Amino acid sequence: MSSAATSDRLFINLGPQHPSTHGVLRVGLTIEGEVIVKAVPDIGYLHRGTEKLAEVRSYHHCVVLTDRWDYVAAMPNNLVFCLATEKLLGIKAPARADALRVMMCELNRVASHLLFVGTYGIDIGAFTPFLYAFREREMVLDLFEMLCGARLTYNYIRLGGVMIDVPADWTSKLKEFLEYFKPKLDEYDQLLSFNPIFMARTQGVGLVTPEEAVSWALSGPNLRGSGVAYDARKADPYCGYENYEFDVVVGKEGSCWDRYFCRVLEMRQSVRIIEQVLARLPEGPVMASGVAKVPKPPAGEAYAHVEAARGDLGIHLVSDGGMSPFRMHVRAPSFLNLAILQEKLVGMKISDVIAFLGSIDIVLGEVDR
Amino acid sequence: MTQDDILSKIQAEFPKIEKAAVQVKDYLTVKLASKDDLIPMAAWLKKEGFDYLEMATAVDYLGPVNMKGYIRQPNFNAFLPGGAKIEVESAAAAGYPYRPVIEFVWSVVSRTDRARVFLKLEVPRDAASAPSLVGLFKSADWQERENFDLLGVRYEGHPNLLKILTPDFLQGHPLRKDYVHVKDRYDE
Repeated sequence: MSSAATSDRLFINLGPQHPSTHGVLRVGLTIEGEVIVKAVPDIGYLHRGTEKLAEVRSYHHCVVLTDRWDYVAAMPNNLVFCLATEKLLGIKAPARADALRVMMCELNRVASHLLFVGTYGIDIGAFTPFLYAFREREMVLDLFEMLCGARLTYNYIRLGGVMIDVPADWTSKLKEFLEYFKPKLDEYDQLLSFNPIFMARTQGVGLVTPEEAVSWALSGPNLRGSGVAYDARKADPYCGYENYEFDVVVGKEGSCWDRYFCRVLEMRQSVRIIEQVLARLPEGPVMASGVAKVPKPPAGEAYAHVEAARGDLGIHLVSDGGMSPFRMHVRAPSFLNLAILQEKLVGMKISDVIAFLGSIDIVLGEVDR
Repeated sequence: MTQDDILSKIQAEFPKIEKAAVQVKDYLTVKLASKDDLIPMAAWLKKEGFDYLEMATAVDYLGPVNMKGYIRQPNFNAFLPGGAKIEVESAAAAGYPYRPVIEFVWSVVSRTDRARVFLKLEVPRDAASAPSLVGLFKSADWQERENFDLLGVRYEGHPNLLKILTPDFLQGHPLRKDYVHVKDRYDE
């Protein structure tokens, strides 16, 4: 460092082992005093090459791989791969399976957003909401455990339907949970959302304009927090989402608080959807007939995308007619959401970095795949 | 707008653009005649409301290869113990037109029309490059870096085309069909 202008610069590593990076993410920060002048995110610590692994596995086996991307909301991952493969195979899940898929994905969204609410509170310095959010999240995970035996990597949604119908007293347990959960949402708002210290730390911080959000291809609550009402469930409905009433929640100014509050409000919408599914859960089989043990879809290409907890999760699948995908590409929302970091962190104060990074809500398993 | 409406609109502006032979199911897929078409086409689409670059990826159509005698880019490893085995992992499907090309795939979304267009461009494997879309869509930045890292395709004009996912010591591009994994210390 020769010139006087650069002599005050300091390079610091945020992560890869830092509680607020939610996994193994390293951000190389160059700071001048308290202000960031350069930020270089370094990812790939969790790269497992699932796209390559899929090329040597049968389609049924690939569903297992999908669980490992976004491991805090694995149901939509299962779903998007199954939807893409079903397009190639030309099969359609029965009505009851579709309803169960919607229900599980929304329930998983609630669990995922609860994790976000809890950990984001910790990032900002509020420890208590974490304990409350995890108390409720535990109940959702218990429901999933009762359903399919797993708490995180479900492998529940299969090609042509779902693994198994819900157990006998499962829906009554779910109804109990929903009745218990709805008042809790108001509690979180009192405890965290409208807490003056929390609002002071997050409102007006990390503003993302709608133009920036679209250009960086943000998706999910990060896009909607900036006021862009784009939701795959409305724009390109799948699994019968067009039959359910729910609102696309949007924020006002694209601040960290807006992104946070979008997720809180989305939990209410998810509860709304689950209640509608429960009210008119169709009877019938949960698995389409005629799904081969080793499916060999005809040669072709398919793209399927769903609104996962973190955004627009897409799968581009190419089949050559063989027993495994010829090429699978994952459009991972966390990966694209994270890319904005390099631009938005510049000019921010160090203390706001955590507030911004937390509000993006990434899962490194999905970023790195 | 239906797929045909979008296609006729595109063809009115770019007469050379045709529907791709293999369509991405349920969505309009068009084939670019040459890589010079990409930037004008993407810029025009952006102006027409397709301002959300959803996905940028590429596919290697070489097909499952018998690695013996077909290693274009052997993964150089000075520490390779003698006799590293090369195994063919998946079988070729009969009748599929495997060819030594890399096909770029982009998808752009119009949020107002609720429509999606897939753009495809075929280039030879040995000179796999396309113009970078970073100037138009910022989301192209990391996606192009990812494709460069995993498929060894180049994007002309990308300001920072560096590896992003694989570790620095890894040689080669894993999603190329003739990629050979050489055993390293993590395999033991």
